[in-house]
Amino acid sequence: MAFWRKTLQTNAGLLIILLLLILLPHIIGLLTGSDPFATRGAAVSWQGTIIEIYILAIFTISYNLLFGFSGVISFGHALFFGMGGYILGLALEYTELTPDMGIIVGILGAVVICGVLGFLIGLASLRLRGVYFTVFTLAIAESFYIFWGRLPLTKGEDGFTLTTLPTWLNPIADRITFYYIVMVIFVLTFLFIRRLMFSPTGAVLLAIRENEERAKTIGYNTLYFKLMAFTVAAMIAALAGVLQVVFNKKVGPELLSVGYTIDPLLMTIIGGAGTFTGPVIGATTLHLLDRTLRDRVITFTPDFALDIGKSWMLISGFIFIIVVIVFPYGIVGTWNRWRAKRRPPITVSSGTQAPIAEKQSG
Amino acid sequence: MADNILEVNTINTFIGQFHILEGVSVTVPKGSITVLLGRNGAGKTTTLKSIMGITPPRTGTILFDGKSVVGKRPYTIAKLGIGYVPEHRAIFKALSVRENLEIAERNKGELERKVDFIFELFPDLKRLYALPGGKLSGGQQQMLAIARALVPDNRLLLIDEPSEGLAPVIIEQLMHAIRVLADKTTVLLVEQNFRMASKLADRYVVIEEGCSVHTGDMSNLVTDAALIQRYLGVA
Amino acid sequence: MNKTFLVIGAVAVGLFLFGLSNANGDLGSFGITIMSGLFQAMLLFLVASGLSIVFGLMDVLNFAQGSFFMIGAYVAYAVHHSPQLIAAIPNADIRFIIALLSAVFVGGVLGVFFERALLRPLYARPIFQIVMTFGVALVIGELIKVVWTPTPYSWTAMFTARSGFFTLFEQQFSTYRLFVIGAGFLLIIGIGLLLQRTRIGIIIRAGVEDSQMVEALGINVRAVFTLVFTLGCAVAALGGAVAAPFLGASTGLANQFLLSAIAIVVLGGLGSYGGTAIASILVGVSVAVIQDWSASPGVNAPVWASLTPMILLVLILLIRPSGLFGKEN
Repeated sequence: MAFWRKTLQTNAGLLIILLLLILLPHIIGLLTGSDPFATRGAAVSWQGTIIEIYILAIFTISYNLLFGFSGVISFGHALFFGMGGYILGLALEYTELTPDMGIIVGILGAVVICGVLGFLIGLASLRLRGVYFTVFTLAIAESFYIFWGRLPLTKGEDGFTLTTLPTWLNPIADRITFYYIVMVIFVLTFLFIRRLMFSPTGAVLLAIRENEERAKTIGYNTLYFKLMAFTVAAMIAALAGVLQVVFNKKVGPELLSVGYTIDPLLMTIIGGAGTFTGPVIGATTLHLLDRTLRDRVITFTPDFALDIGKSWMLISGFIFIIVVIVFPYGIVGTWNRWRAKRRPPITVSSGTQAPIAEKQSG
Repeated sequence: MADNILEVNTINTFIGQFHILEGVSVTVPKGSITVLLGRNGAGKTTTLKSIMGITPPRTGTILFDGKSVVGKRPYTIAKLGIGYVPEHRAIFKALSVRENLEIAERNKGELERKVDFIFELFPDLKRLYALPGGKLSGGQQQMLAIARALVPDNRLLLIDEPSEGLAPVIIEQLMHAIRVLADKTTVLLVEQNFRMASKLADRYVVIEEGCSVHTGDMSNLVTDAALIQRYLGVA
Repeated sequence: MNKTFLVIGAVAVGLFLFGLSNANGDLGSFGITIMSGLFQAMLLFLVASGLSIVFGLMDVLNFAQGSFFMIGAYVAYAVHHSPQLIAAIPNADIRFIIALLSAVFVGGVLGVFFERALLRPLYARPIFQIVMTFGVALVIGELIKVVWTPTPYSWTAMFTARSGFFTLFEQQFSTYRLFVIGAGFLLIIGIGLLLQRTRIGIIIRAGVEDSQMVEALGINVRAVFTLVFTLGCAVAALGGAVAAPFLGASTGLANQFLLSAIAIVVLGGLGSYGGTAIASILVGVSVAVIQDWSASPGVNAPVWASLTPMILLVLILLIRPSGLFGKEN
């Protein structure tokens, strides 16, 4: 009985949030007094911002699966994000497929190809220890970045724009539909990762993060589990890249740049690595900050003004450094620790050593 | 108690989230050889590391020569006059024997003066002086590790499992050397080899599951078979 | 060990033959390729040596090492081209020396700050140290864009050594390159002697093996960390300053040199100073040979030249992550 009530309580929270996300465009419409179904206006502009947050959150969730849950530090995650975008772009613009077929082939192709790519890269590199692996991922991502930037077919550094999207998937003409599509993908990703981490596989990943040698000694093939996490993260990142490209209608090598590796890394750390809601909160916080500050110009003296839009990367870099030093558990992690401290301590009889398991919910 | 060079009083040490030492107390009289006894994983090595400040205790006091060393960085503690010979003979394998000794000498040009005493104690090292530490045999490496701790004028030596994995002949040599040392300085030893420990030490402390549970004169312990059986499981 | 030298010898001979056949046996143009390769090698060594020693000693792979190279290039460019300085010191050679010293100074000051303020609080959290250096690389890149704009600069104010040439095999060779190569070899030997012969060198080599034990011998290892890290940053900045008269100053320098330097450090074997020096020369010359080949009319695929360090790095990691002189782990 208590179990069911508890389950209901947990899910009640999720259901309320889900309802809120569904109603969000309409609430904003009411608050700003503009039509959420229109093609322009405050409500539609806000939908755009929230869509970007969903996309970044999906991307960050995939990074958190590696960095937060498995202890795998990749500096090349942008590779899958960008490759996903390029594959969709190629399917739509460089094949004879109809827009409808193009989008289906493009999305499936992006996810599958990035899955295979992630699998192969992981297979080659995951047995490398610590920083060697990190270097490897950086080098691979950088290679692809240079490759796309020099490829005349896809217009090199300039990239190309999407011209043929199906009518039902048009973020400009029909933004609210796109909002719901992205929202559903976001919710499914979130639930999938939660499900995964509560499964036995998730438990092994956490064990690998805490102490890979010990996990090996117990008898787990840690390479297999890390490979699975890496492949899944690559596929989700590809999906995020696809959504980004559809939303911005622009494909270019910048999608694979270091900036798109920094973003999910920073958002994971700010939100709280190794928590479920951390990546979402990190993505929301940072993107809202970006949005509200982007068009401001702070004038210190007549000669010296700081254009925040232009220096956003710099500002986020400083945030990054400060967070790493003073705030390493992120928003959710710090909140969990604070709550754990307030709870009455559990007395453990002396002599038995009970390692306190990191709390994973959040 | 001015004749105790080291007084460790109910220290609690954590490594990460694990509570390793849960109240260890050790007193080491000046000029003595004191041995820490106990099973694997009882916390003997962590006790030495806590004294050195490598794994600083969270609570409790450690007095060296009457002054507290808790919270000081390892290099400061070492400079006060404590030499540390860690387990597994942590010598520098890429450095020559000479360089291994040189690095321990904090005053320029003092090494030559002390090296005679070291060669007297471990004649092998004289022959191997220019060789890299990695080329030495296990016993020679152990000698080098102890010799390295002798280079500065340390008033206390912490020696962790010197006999580990060595042949009986070598162990005899080491025992002889440690006995000679004890005339000049004070030794706190961790030793699993009870035969060696009982021959060397004046005093003992038994550590069990992170607590010091028993202490006394070695001469009393060796005659008390029941006590040995109870704490060490050896007859 | 002999096998290692056999491999190095084979690669060197292969490079030599490939480069020579590329130049169609023209010793002059082949010489120019080799010289530009050695020049690159010295620049790479200046970045890689710090990277390698710092990683060996402190277990921190400094992803911002390439950024210090870039800072050096910008500082040297700005100082050498500063109108005020040109007015004050018309002698371009003296100005260039001031530019070099300024770059070293700025690199060193930033290096001290970096280690003390940003890395030291994180020694208990090694993962965050890596993340931190990555973040610092980002911040340095962005700061440079704010201060100097993203547009690349090319070196315009010449000085005697830079504009000097000498002729050999009917080709003109740059005196400046020759000078840098010579100075580079002296530096390689100098740092080597420092590591082998001095007390600080012994401490560093011991620290690479076991820094905790060094500390237990009464040596303030953290102070050694700061010193070595600072020197690493200063030397990388010197590299950028030396490179600037040829490569100019641009934001792309950081990643380009970081990845090549990491390739070198991994190839040479982490923590092995001699390995780093040899690998620098191997990588510098191979990149120059491949650059020539990829730019030759028959091939015309300059993308390969840009990809070379990355491909090299990936291959080394796959085939032998412990490198030429590294210990199997």
